[in-house]
Amino acid sequence: MSPISSVGSFVLLLALALSGYSFLAGLVALLRPGSEGLGETSRRAGIAVFGAVALAAALLVTAAFQDDFSIAYILHHSNRELPIAYKFAVLWSGQEGSLLFWSLLLSAYGLVLRLRYRTDPKLFAHASVIIASVQVFFLLLLNFAAHPFAIVEGAIPPDGNGLNPLLQYPEMVIHPPMLYLGYVGFTIPFAFALAALVMRYPGEKWIQITRRWTMVTWGFLTVGIFLGAHWAYNVLGWGGYWGWDPVENASLMPWLTGTAFLHSVMMQEKRGMLKVWNMWLIFATFLLSIFGTFLTRSGVVSSVHAFAQSSIGTWFVVFMALTFAVCVFFFVMNRSHLKSEHKLESLVSRESSFLFNNLLLIVACFTVLWGTLFPILSEWVQGTKVTVGAPFFNRVNIPVALLLLLLTAVGPLLAWRNTSLDSLKRNFLWPAIGAVTVAVLMIAFGVRPWKDASYFYSLMTISLASLVAFTVASEFVRGGRVISSHTGQSLFAGIVQLGRRNTRRYGGYIVHFGVVLIVIGFAGGAFNQDQEKEMGFGDKMKLGPYTLICRSYTQDDNPNYGSESAIMDVEKDGRLIDTLYPERRVYHASNQPATMVANRSSFKEDLYLVYEGQNPDTGRPIIKAHLNPLVMWIWAGVWVMLIGTVLALIPNALPVRVAAAVRVEPVVVGAGD
Amino acid sequence: MIILACSVITLGALFYIFYAPRVIVTGVTKTRLAYLQERKEAVYENLRDLNFENQAGKFSAPDYQSLRASLEQEAGSILAEIARLENAAAEAATQSPKGGRF
Repeated sequence: MSPISSVGSFVLLLALALSGYSFLAGLVALLRPGSEGLGETSRRAGIAVFGAVALAAALLVTAAFQDDFSIAYILHHSNRELPIAYKFAVLWSGQEGSLLFWSLLLSAYGLVLRLRYRTDPKLFAHASVIIASVQVFFLLLLNFAAHPFAIVEGAIPPDGNGLNPLLQYPEMVIHPPMLYLGYVGFTIPFAFALAALVMRYPGEKWIQITRRWTMVTWGFLTVGIFLGAHWAYNVLGWGGYWGWDPVENASLMPWLTGTAFLHSVMMQEKRGMLKVWNMWLIFATFLLSIFGTFLTRSGVVSSVHAFAQSSIGTWFVVFMALTFAVCVFFFVMNRSHLKSEHKLESLVSRESSFLFNNLLLIVACFTVLWGTLFPILSEWVQGTKVTVGAPFFNRVNIPVALLLLLLTAVGPLLAWRNTSLDSLKRNFLWPAIGAVTVAVLMIAFGVRPWKDASYFYSLMTISLASLVAFTVASEFVRGGRVISSHTGQSLFAGIVQLGRRNTRRYGGYIVHFGVVLIVIGFAGGAFNQDQEKEMGFGDKMKLGPYTLICRSYTQDDNPNYGSESAIMDVEKDGRLIDTLYPERRVYHASNQPATMVANRSSFKEDLYLVYEGQNPDTGRPIIKAHLNPLVMWIWAGVWVMLIGTVLALIPNALPVRVAAAVRVEPVVVGAGD
Repeated sequence: MIILACSVITLGALFYIFYAPRVIVTGVTKTRLAYLQERKEAVYENLRDLNFENQAGKFSAPDYQSLRASLEQEAGSILAEIARLENAAAEAATQSPKGGRF
């Protein structure tokens, strides 16, 4: 047995023991008043778990670097010639390693939480116990169901099977960590929410404490999802970025409920409303994160991400059922604690816009869940697996997304409680004129919505996206004017001050602007074109304004893979503007092929070339070309969303104080007080 | 060597958990008064937001007056309950044996 395997196995057991102690001692300390010393040992045991799990993860990566193929995981996911960056990626490239990575991230989040316990020791102690219970589950899995340090039986092969070729792409080094940081991170707001419910925590301070955690987690999940989309676009070679694959859906579902939570939680903070709804939203988000990990790791549904068929599915089902039962139990016990302090006063108000936004996000989530689970459900009912494809998801989710866009435009301009028609007119006139102008211009430039449903949706999407952009701009300009009128600064300086004074609100608007860019990118999909052709030397292919000319083919070989690529000249209006090199690789260790797309990307369109291999009958290379308009807007939108999220995380520079004659007198309440 | 490494790791963890110097911080149970203070801050924040948005020209005059009146009413109720709880606490302190000596 290798030393790495022995020590790694031991520290995993130690981590389980420490987590178990952290959970049990913490629980006893909470139940027995005066056991603060025991509670402190529980907190420290939770911190020590991070050390043990981090050591286990470091040992597994070390084993990858040392090519220790006596460890089965390293044998199956690495090889001697694997580049250094991908040796790190070995940690999350297979089932056992990625569960260890989940555990590592959870222990890291738990470490930060336990170090910051002085903020509110009792609330943090409750949250710490809940996190320890989740940690126990993952460490049980690692120790007894998916051991990353399991030893190869019999003779040890001289080289490993190599990392899955689809994962040997720079984004795959950061896409899974981002996604996992998102999945795992939702454990923290879940733990605080459940803790607040268990201890009947008065007030909404737990939301303020977890606000940054939730936003950071949501930001990671957003980036993770779009890195996955970018990877799919550049590696899978089918010309698209989102295929409604079950594992893509698994990451989208907690994102949808998490987005709903980020919005509706403002109603609880501002007006003490929707407490039950918010509690269940964060419970659902956590359960969907676990469900996502279950889908990715259990292999219950077919997917391009079908990493493994294994028995760990049962463990996840039991854990999800237990978690759900605990949530229901405490909800039933303490539901009186979650009474709303106000009722909805008008359908035309900020509250109702948040409510509709939440309902739409939940409809979208349920649609995705239904479509994802449909093969399993149909097999149970009919005995045959029926898979639903993109048309099902699009039919429901595109109209939902359009309504969400409308609410994104309308919501920020509505007042809390009630908004009159007069106020509506004041706020919407110019943005609405702007959006209608965009729609007219699109029709004038040849988009005919009556000819094709996809054109109609595209026109609606871009018009509504414009409406959001104009309302966001009007919010900045109006607020900036108030600041500049008080300070004498320029409008631009006023807008900058505005953003610094209320980072959460204006960061949120920047996130909305990022969403605008992304949906414009999605709308471009209605105008996609593609063509496939066998191309010999000098053959030409016309696609849109471009003429592709095949100049040559080359072959290459290195220790990790062999490759074939085409050399394609790109001409526009008779002028050579670029040369592209679509490539196809075959990795030696796994003998699996992979596509390296050649993409000439601009804000107007992507010219996307795929070398599909040779026709087995004619021996001639096949080139597939796609012309995908506006795709770059999606990636630009993600950057804008990221900037907005980071801005929203920065504390306000100064409190927003505008001189106002606010006079509040105590009112007389209840006789006998 | 493996046994030594595992022993060192275990002893280090146990020492940190049970023997390393520590300061135990016990939290106080959050009172209704503390909760009302938080609510008061939230309502004041809402009032400041409302005023800012009004200056930005987002509301008609009747809308602004009505929204402000309802927020002021809410703040007034909270302030009244805060005052009641503080008075009750002060009375309890006065009637306690310790307080009686003064």
